Amino acid sequence: MTGEVLRILLLALQLGFLALLYLILVGFSRALLRDLRSAEVTQMASQSGIGKLSVVESSADEPALGTTIALGPINSMGRNVNSTIFIDDDFVSGTHAMLTFRGRSWFIEDEGSTNGTYVNGHRIDRPVALSFGDELTIGRVRMRLER
Amino acid sequence: MHAVSRPLELRLLLPLVILVPLGFAVTHIAQTGALDPGPMGIAVGYVGLMLAAHLALRLVGNQGDQLLLPCVGTIGAIGIIMLNRLPQGLLGTNAFGVQFGMATTQLLWFAVGLSAMVLLAGSFRDDGILRHYKYTWALAGTVLLVITFLFGKEVNGARLWIDVGPIAFQPGEAIKIVLVIFIAAYLAEKRTLLAGASARIGPLKVPPLPYLLPMIAIFVIVMLVVVVSRDLGTALLFMGIFLTMLFVATGRRSYVLLGILLFIAGSFVAYKLFGHVRIRVDNWIDPFVDPNDRGYQTVQALYAFGRGGLFGEGLGQGLPTISGRLPIPALPTDFIFAAVAEELGLIGAFALLALVMCLVFRGLRTAMLARDDFSAMLAVGLTVSLGLQTLIIAAGNVKLVPLTGITFPFVSYGGSSLLACFVVVGLLLAISHRSVVDAQIEGR
Repeated sequence: MTGEVLRILLLALQLGFLALLYLILVGFSRALLRDLRSAEVTQMASQSGIGKLSVVESSADEPALGTTIALGPINSMGRNVNSTIFIDDDFVSGTHAMLTFRGRSWFIEDEGSTNGTYVNGHRIDRPVALSFGDELTIGRVRMRLER
Repeated sequence: MHAVSRPLELRLLLPLVILVPLGFAVTHIAQTGALDPGPMGIAVGYVGLMLAAHLALRLVGNQGDQLLLPCVGTIGAIGIIMLNRLPQGLLGTNAFGVQFGMATTQLLWFAVGLSAMVLLAGSFRDDGILRHYKYTWALAGTVLLVITFLFGKEVNGARLWIDVGPIAFQPGEAIKIVLVIFIAAYLAEKRTLLAGASARIGPLKVPPLPYLLPMIAIFVIVMLVVVVSRDLGTALLFMGIFLTMLFVATGRRSYVLLGILLFIAGSFVAYKLFGHVRIRVDNWIDPFVDPNDRGYQTVQALYAFGRGGLFGEGLGQGLPTISGRLPIPALPTDFIFAAVAEELGLIGAFALLALVMCLVFRGLRTAMLARDDFSAMLAVGLTVSLGLQTLIIAAGNVKLVPLTGITFPFVSYGGSSLLACFVVVGLLLAISHRSVVDAQIEGR
């Protein structure tokens, strides 16, 4: 085989290799674009809430285990049926705690309950800032704050 | 644990079946002049490993991001083609009485890395272990660092290696991940405090120091040991990860500004104190002052970029060896990007960087979709560690910043680095899996 033919063959193979590499990249960018478009759609479909509580542990039917509660900016929590978040558990006070969204963060404050409010297992004695992923325990109900 | 389908991942992985053997064949034809594709063992092994990893992810029921593995697979494909193309005796392992060549060793590490990735992606359903034991992790990382510093063996002026049986192990890679876990856990817990309250000194808003102290203390210890063991690339990387995570958690530019000022001051001190830092910086300013000795690698790398041009010299046709030795001694590790640019040209180098960008994009997307602060911070930190590492070493190769000895993720030769990168991808897959599953439960 002559050197000239080999040279042309190698050039063709090299360009083929690069072309294939870019075809793969096109595949990636199409997948990325499709993802961005679908993300836009889902965002339009769902109201962009500020957060929610998912019930991790519950002894009562209200709130039931496994449900999520959408949150407004101010939520009273307690055994009083007029509470924003009604918790039907014997260990919960009528007006137990207040969960509020201020500025950029969530805060929880105990409203003088009998059995206390716990954040990640620690009893709170003053308003505490929450992070998403933190767990609140009120009575025998445990809830996780989520985005 | 029930099997799931990952159709997009499979579709994006399939082109590798052609790409890797094609690369091997071009190399073989160019190097021997014979018209046959040459030995394909490593190419087949590599593609097989990637497809096996895909199947394993399906079997363990991971529903996480489907672009991560194909992205990593394509980046790694370029790496294994380049490593297979270099003289095999250059580096390699002698384990269990058998001498493995460079590409074979790398392939074995790919197998180890992919296994670790699948294991993490499948088992790490709850982040409690990582989140709640953050100080334990920080302590373990620091102890590992000190052990390396005291008992490690010295290579090229930096003490980074520990010998474990037949394998030399680089603890810096493990410490990187542990540090990210610690910072993520710490910031997730204290985020609101850090972003909220702050003291004022005159016109300057000062971060609430008491809250920051534990984190800064651990960070300073790590940085001190890293700097004293003269691993400056890693120091730069750690600093970048730390500042990015702090910024993401608080949204405060003042922290970043303060960090950069501290870093400039630290760099200046390092320049004055350490001889080998001075050499690196002088080389960066003008490598042609001493092109045959101190500036040699940098000068040769620049020539390699020049020779590569737009479309490259062709796989297997670049990198002339001088009397059987490579012009750049650290080619398979620190300078692999220069090798890629020489043989695949600007086009190929761009493709490689675009792939890393895609990986970073998906990592940040994982962080955005994460349901809790810890997962989000963890995903950001891990992603940034990969992205910054690529940026630092690629910029070092083209003489944009002083060269620091760190690896190009998934491309450079090296087991510790490869394993660490796959652990990062495994954790990202796990985080992404959790948010996908949560969204499904909610949608029901």
